Amino acid sequence: MKLLINGENKDFTDGISLEELIRQLGVRKETVVAEVNRRIIQNEQRAECKLADGDQIELIQFVGGG
Amino acid sequence: MTATIEKIKSEDTYQINGKTFTSRLLVGTGKYATNELMGQCLEASGTQIVTVALRRVNLDNKGEKTLLDFIDPKKFTLLPNTAGCYSAEEAIRVAHLARATGISDFVKLEVLYDEKTLLPDPIATLEATKTLVKEGFTVMTYTSDDPVMAQKLEQVGAHAVMPAGSPIGSGQGVLNPNNIRIILEKLKCPVLIDAGVGSASDVAVAMELGVVAVLLNTAIAHAKDPLKMAHAMRHATEAGRLSYLAGRIPKKLYAQASTPIKDF
Repeated sequence: MKLLINGENKDFTDGISLEELIRQLGVRKETVVAEVNRRIIQNEQRAECKLADGDQIELIQFVGGG
Repeated sequence: MTATIEKIKSEDTYQINGKTFTSRLLVGTGKYATNELMGQCLEASGTQIVTVALRRVNLDNKGEKTLLDFIDPKKFTLLPNTAGCYSAEEAIRVAHLARATGISDFVKLEVLYDEKTLLPDPIATLEATKTLVKEGFTVMTYTSDDPVMAQKLEQVGAHAVMPAGSPIGSGQGVLNPNNIRIILEKLKCPVLIDAGVGSASDVAVAMELGVVAVLLNTAIAHAKDPLKMAHAMRHATEAGRLSYLAGRIPKKLYAQASTPIKDF
């Protein structure tokens, strides 16, 4: 299935969870905030959040700013 | 004497939504040459509140060190900003993302109107402040130095109102001290100068007006020697604050001799 992650199309196995996606991407889970289709998914809900073809995922983190 | 001054400084606290702070310098984390330098500057500045931004993770550089490797959230209160947002909806979304990190419920709310001036959109700013206050955020709102707008923000519950001294990153200092004075006279909530300061003297001037604190970023990050400037800003904040507390002499047109009149 195709997922749109931070604006980039990527292929993943069907039915993957958000937690697994973050692991496979190699993103540090403790410092990232995730949105699926503009809805924030809290850390503890990531494992049960199954992704579907065409889902839009945003992975956000703190950066420097004023 | 030193002990007395240290005592005065440590007892001279202020609160934002019930949280107590002693350092009156808030420092941004953007624009530093390296994260290591940023960490050293934060330390040197003595700051307790640091602003941060939220952006997409770079998927090509995954696993790289993140900002939080250089800032200990136990040591500093993180103040996530909504920089780059041009509508209330966007700013509210960013605030929600920031809170979802579980690190801070503070938000430096800025809703901008145009890219050239980086002036705030007053209507959208007011709307977003109202919503985020209702949702339980600690809202510190960036605004222009308009005293009416500052009052409106306080009325909808802003926990701190933060007028710009001059445009963001412009380094022009406090351009309209009279507006800041009026804002200070009208508001009960903490008023901070956010943006526009360029040098230590600008900070001292702002503090002497009686604002609770000053927030800056570029003035340190883009100084020729950021670390020296971080020290300078710390001293200027303390000097300006003490000068405000001490109470300046009135300005007079004519000279007043400092030496007793000659009586021999």
